[in-house]
Amino acid sequence: MILDAFKAWLLLFVAVLAQVSVLSGYTLIGGAPDLVLVTLLSLALLRGSIFGAVAGFGAGLLLDIAYLDTLGFTSLLLTLAGFWIGRYGETTARDRFHAPLLSVGVVTVLYVLGAIVLRFVLGDPVPAGEVLAGLPGVVLLNLVLTLPVYALVRRLFPPAAATARVREVRLLG
Amino acid sequence: MPRNRTVRAAVLGSSVQRAAASGSSSTRSSALRRRIVVGFLVLLSLTLITVSFRSSALDPVQGFGASVLRPFEIAANRVSQPFNDAFDWARGLVHAKSENERLRAELEVLRRETAEAEVARQENAQLQKLLEYRSSPRFPGDYRAVAASVMANPTAFDRSITISAGSRDGIRVQDVVITAGALVGQVTKVFRDVSRVMLITDPSSAVTALDASNPAAVGILEHGSTPDSLVLNRVTKDKIVEVGDTIVTSGSQAGDRFPSIFPRDLLIGKVASVGQSETDIFKTIQVEPLVDLSALRSVLVLVPKKRGGAE
Repeated sequence: MILDAFKAWLLLFVAVLAQVSVLSGYTLIGGAPDLVLVTLLSLALLRGSIFGAVAGFGAGLLLDIAYLDTLGFTSLLLTLAGFWIGRYGETTARDRFHAPLLSVGVVTVLYVLGAIVLRFVLGDPVPAGEVLAGLPGVVLLNLVLTLPVYALVRRLFPPAAATARVREVRLLG
Repeated sequence: MPRNRTVRAAVLGSSVQRAAASGSSSTRSSALRRRIVVGFLVLLSLTLITVSFRSSALDPVQGFGASVLRPFEIAANRVSQPFNDAFDWARGLVHAKSENERLRAELEVLRRETAEAEVARQENAQLQKLLEYRSSPRFPGDYRAVAASVMANPTAFDRSITISAGSRDGIRVQDVVITAGALVGQVTKVFRDVSRVMLITDPSSAVTALDASNPAAVGILEHGSTPDSLVLNRVTKDKIVEVGDTIVTSGSQAGDRFPSIFPRDLLIGKVASVGQSETDIFKTIQVEPLVDLSALRSVLVLVPKKRGGAE
């Protein structure tokens, strides 16, 4: 568990650095890919809701610090995203091929809408038209990132379900 | 479970379900733990937002965090620089085509505007000359001038122009058309708002003209061998005509049986060459028109102040 936490922290740290320094400059039809979100959702799918929520909080905090944004803003959104997709992974999404793609597609849209609403609530000026116009590009790029990122995360965090099952075996009769 | 499950897998599977069903208290505690953790994190986030939004208490913390992250960001930037350059290069290639098309379109617009401006400049210069001529003493006193713009210039097959003035402006057939004091031709067709003008270079045109330096050298000005050239015919060999002399309209001479429709002393052109042969009793005089009759922009129609009884 501790090793998983350390690996997750390292992975998200690298993802935040790549996001802040590199990927935010790569735009397609007005939108940039969100590597942190895709990495977080992959982690949450494989490690569950609590892991997802904590990882989301940490990654969000890192992003808020790096962007010098309002502290807690991204943390709140990513905590909820990690928790929700973690629950999805714990319940219906297990072993389903489309789960990562579906998770990333849906959460990307909800994340952007949530960010707009939250900024509106906080009274921050937000160019909602421009952000929404770039949303298809963000969704597309995130979906492109999903399969390689999920494959990498799955390799680093192999599903523990098989081990858990074996642990609960009892001989009958 | 997968479809090709084995007996062992089926047993294991059912064991998992039984364990889950029997451990309802652990499920409940797990759900409670989940709620506590996520509730705490959400509450912490909201607290951070509130504190960060309402005061600057967290600024030092954020500044410290940013300072810690800075070297890593710089390193990431350096590592990714070649990839960024490659991406920018590729993006530049993609955008180059659309930018090229946009610049071409802009260039086309600018060329058109430049051409329009040049046309306007030339037209302005011609109108200025017309205005100066109209108020000069050389302008024939028995006429009033009707200004008109040229709507259609002559072609290789038709040495006529169409002008934007017609019967509504008082123009009639055979009215004389000039530009800045130089003869252009005569009106051959009149409509309400437009007229057709036969140029002096038309094969059907004939104008009585003379050498301004030697008024005794009178002849008939007709079209030459090329579309824009003129020939002064019927000048006898005993008359002196030099190259460079100015040819003007002679107007009606005293005692003429058929008076000329052209007022006298309208400029026509310069003598380009003079020749004569032993077998011909007239000189061969080539005349170069003073104005480029194939590129007229505006003209003046000389409308007689007192029309003759023919109307």
